[in-house]
Amino acid sequence: MNDFRKKLQRYPVIKFCASMNITLVCLVLLFILTLWGTIDQARNGLFLAQERFFNSFFFTFGGFIPFPGARLVLWILFINLVCAAVVRLVYRWAQSGIIVTHFGLLFFFVAAFVTFHGTQESNITLMEGEGANVSSAYHDWELAVWHSEGKERNVAAYDAREFQPGKKMDFPEYGLYVGVVDYHPNSEAYGEGQEGVTVLNASGIRSLKPVSLYKEPERNIPGGIFLVKGAGPQDVRVLLYGGEANPTEIRTGDSLYYIHLRRQKFPLPFVVRLKDFMMEFHPNTQIARSYKSLVEVMTPDGASREVLISMNQPLRHKNFTLYQSSYSVDEAGRESSTLAVVRNAGRLLPYWASFITFAGLTVHLLITAFKAKLKH
Amino acid sequence: MYKKIILLVCFLAIGIPLAFAQPTCRLDSKIKPKRAVSLKAFQEIPVLSEGRIKPLDTYARALLLQFSGRSSFQRKPAMEWLGRVLFAPALTYDDKVFLINNPEAATALKIEPEPKHRYSFSQLEPGLEKLEELARLADKIEEKNRSVVEREVLRLYQNLMMYVRHTEALSFAFPSSEFQITDKEIIGQLNLPARQEVFSFYDIVSKAEILQRKIRRLHEIGREQWSGQDKDFLRLMTNLYQWSMSYRDLPFHVVPTSVRDQESWLSPQDAIDKEFFNEAVRREVGLLRDMMVYYWNGEQLPFDLAARSLKSSVVMRVGGKEGKAINKIPLELFYNKADFFLWAKLLYGLAFLVFLLSFFFPKVFARPLSLGVILAGLVFHCCAFVLRMMIMARPPVTNLFETFVFVSFISVVLGVIIELVNKRWLGNVVASVCGLVFLLIAEKFSAEGDTMQMLAAVLDSNFWLAIHVISITIGYAGCCVAGLIGHFYLLQGIRYPKEKALLESTYQNLIGTLGFGLMMTFFGTTVGGIWADQSWGRFWGWDPKENGALLIVLWCAIIFHAKVGRLIGPLGVAVGSVLGIVVVMWAWFGVNLLSVGLHSYGFTSGVATGLLVYVIMETIFLSVTVPWSQRRLAAFHQAKMKKD
Repeated sequence: MNDFRKKLQRYPVIKFCASMNITLVCLVLLFILTLWGTIDQARNGLFLAQERFFNSFFFTFGGFIPFPGARLVLWILFINLVCAAVVRLVYRWAQSGIIVTHFGLLFFFVAAFVTFHGTQESNITLMEGEGANVSSAYHDWELAVWHSEGKERNVAAYDAREFQPGKKMDFPEYGLYVGVVDYHPNSEAYGEGQEGVTVLNASGIRSLKPVSLYKEPERNIPGGIFLVKGAGPQDVRVLLYGGEANPTEIRTGDSLYYIHLRRQKFPLPFVVRLKDFMMEFHPNTQIARSYKSLVEVMTPDGASREVLISMNQPLRHKNFTLYQSSYSVDEAGRESSTLAVVRNAGRLLPYWASFITFAGLTVHLLITAFKAKLKH
Repeated sequence: MYKKIILLVCFLAIGIPLAFAQPTCRLDSKIKPKRAVSLKAFQEIPVLSEGRIKPLDTYARALLLQFSGRSSFQRKPAMEWLGRVLFAPALTYDDKVFLINNPEAATALKIEPEPKHRYSFSQLEPGLEKLEELARLADKIEEKNRSVVEREVLRLYQNLMMYVRHTEALSFAFPSSEFQITDKEIIGQLNLPARQEVFSFYDIVSKAEILQRKIRRLHEIGREQWSGQDKDFLRLMTNLYQWSMSYRDLPFHVVPTSVRDQESWLSPQDAIDKEFFNEAVRREVGLLRDMMVYYWNGEQLPFDLAARSLKSSVVMRVGGKEGKAINKIPLELFYNKADFFLWAKLLYGLAFLVFLLSFFFPKVFARPLSLGVILAGLVFHCCAFVLRMMIMARPPVTNLFETFVFVSFISVVLGVIIELVNKRWLGNVVASVCGLVFLLIAEKFSAEGDTMQMLAAVLDSNFWLAIHVISITIGYAGCCVAGLIGHFYLLQGIRYPKEKALLESTYQNLIGTLGFGLMMTFFGTTVGGIWADQSWGRFWGWDPKENGALLIVLWCAIIFHAKVGRLIGPLGVAVGSVLGIVVVMWAWFGVNLLSVGLHSYGFTSGVATGLLVYVIMETIFLSVTVPWSQRRLAAFHQAKMKKD
């Protein structure tokens, strides 16, 4: 093993990658990014700051000056740590704390990678008595098309993040082609439009006005004009707006198609039905003491169970976890509960990484204290 | 209108017993009551405030703290002041209890500045209209965009309104001209004391059944046939109705509702309006009214008996959680009276004084004496924590006040450990300075009112709260102690550059505490991630509070890696640990200034200036001590090398 390490140490690339200077530069950059990104959240909101500082490889400031994003810095730090583990760490009992700590940190990187790429966050809002087996994304949109025939709805959808004028989408199962004529990530809808221009829309919307993006991405409502080909002898211009409750119908001969711009939908392997929503306040105050949703979970095999979801007590089913997120009461006094739905394959990885790193730090501190005592 | 009045009277009349003669106190601003001397029994009465059942003593302290920033008035307990506010409000109009921190706010109200920045209701009343107008404008501005003056205006207005509403809390028992009866025959018919003319709302509402009978027949005859007495009866009823409308939703919730499974409590006036038909509620309101009479007549024994009867009646009516909370009242009264935090502060201050005196009178026993005083302070500190945990039945750290008190506690513990190992004064100084300073800061935060607040829903998890918040707070303490030792290292470098052993010992302690701080902050941060995963479904979300904790971890990691990589020496580590305090301050309450993210339960305001002043002071300290210390140490090394 030692010979192998010695061999590797001879490679200048590995020696350079394992350098302490790189570690320090990365830590300092991460410190700057964390501080900068935190302060920026007050101005640009949590989501935009996260995207700019933490989820990016590079970003620019002052208009053109590039700066490394946290994603790049963390990749470099990971490589640096791997190389350091191979050629720089001293594998002695006295250093066991340091070794365990750094392996714990490596595990953290793996956990971060898995959770970053393997987590799907969405939500379900249910009125009392309502049930659902799909959840909706918070701020990602899709263009969905489906056919009227049959009991089961076979939906084909395209991610709206890639929409721009000229983009073409093929729906071969329905023989339709949809092209993007115009698309706005955030827009306002109006019932009056340009004279002589006809667009098909389910809600009587005639035109859209682009609006600048909000800090909170869930407030953005996209809209656009799409050209549908293959639904008859003539192309159809369809105006779709994210705020519409109903899809737009396209009739061709005997067939009826539906097209809808909506928040991305994720199917759940069970039906969740809200039986009761309970909200308690501390007496004589508006300070919430607890929010609870009593739900019924029904699985395809016919099994059913009741679960009480409350703050700090989520519902777990396979890879899915449902948390109490928020609630609302409409004008008629009907209560609805919003449950955050998280699908996370590597949920326990950060737990293990935390435990290993902390154990390493503790061992190191104890060894150092013991050595100091001996020296004293 | 009349129908409403008749309905109200009918409602009130249900279950009201026949009139019984009671002495009625006379309220006149020119007449001073004899006053009950002791309010000991009264302070034990349970009251529901901010979602918690607490003794009236705590309620009075919190209210006075909120108004004046102090828990006593003219060296007398807050309870005495509240007693006057409730039973004889006119006597408190000249009490200077309203603190105005910002002189601009006082100028805006055209008030002559007071040297102690505290003003009376009489001084503020002429400017009340202007204050209301300014407060309304300030209220329209989003909280985080309000200026210091706007915040102060709003705070003052809210405090004044709160005061006014408290002066009205027992107004139902004050004789009022609205219930003046000049016709002796009517007084007789209502079974009221013949020697009086002016009665209270309570006196008249107690005769609701008789009034109801008198009124009922008015329906059947035309208005032109009403006699003078009929009109008087109708006037009394109209005034009863208008009084109820004017004085509803008052504070001072001392009467539990009679509705089953409801934890809400009512003010005496609301209790009369809503639940006077209930015998127990009626008895409790009557006892409050009796207490007012006894207070005015200076009858101590009956006053105490009425107070105890009220408490007993409430205890008998409530159950479950409320009963448990009431059972803890003696414990809370003991906590209030003992004021262990004050004793801890005094003892830490004394220990530091012993340290300072040891420069002038170097004695062998000075260091153990200082350590002993610190340990005594620690015992008081610990007692206060245990009592708070027993009262609230939850872990010791749940709000910003408690974080300061807890960091103070852990810093003292770390200081004591250092002193026991090191025996060079360093631990004593660290313990006394940290203990005192953090308790003084905590005192500032306690000025916002009751420090035992109810938890927001998301925090209501004892297990995660105990582990996450406590460990991260211990981490803060470790880093702060390391920062303080860093200060001492720099000062020792200037004062004792030749004493290598002393410097080495300080440095080793610095490394140890910084490592401990890193370990606990890391643990707290990751456990916080686990809590977030349990509550919100994600381990990490780059939320400001999470980022704050990460900044501490990163900063400590930078220092340690720079040290291992030999980029910095002991002096650099000391500077890094000093700056580490700034990072801790940012993570602790600086990020709260941003008012974004999911940790909104911990937000506060008004700390920006303090944080800025601290950063400036540290910058000055470092820019003076670092070059000086560096020069002194270098000069010593050069001299040593020449000598060798």
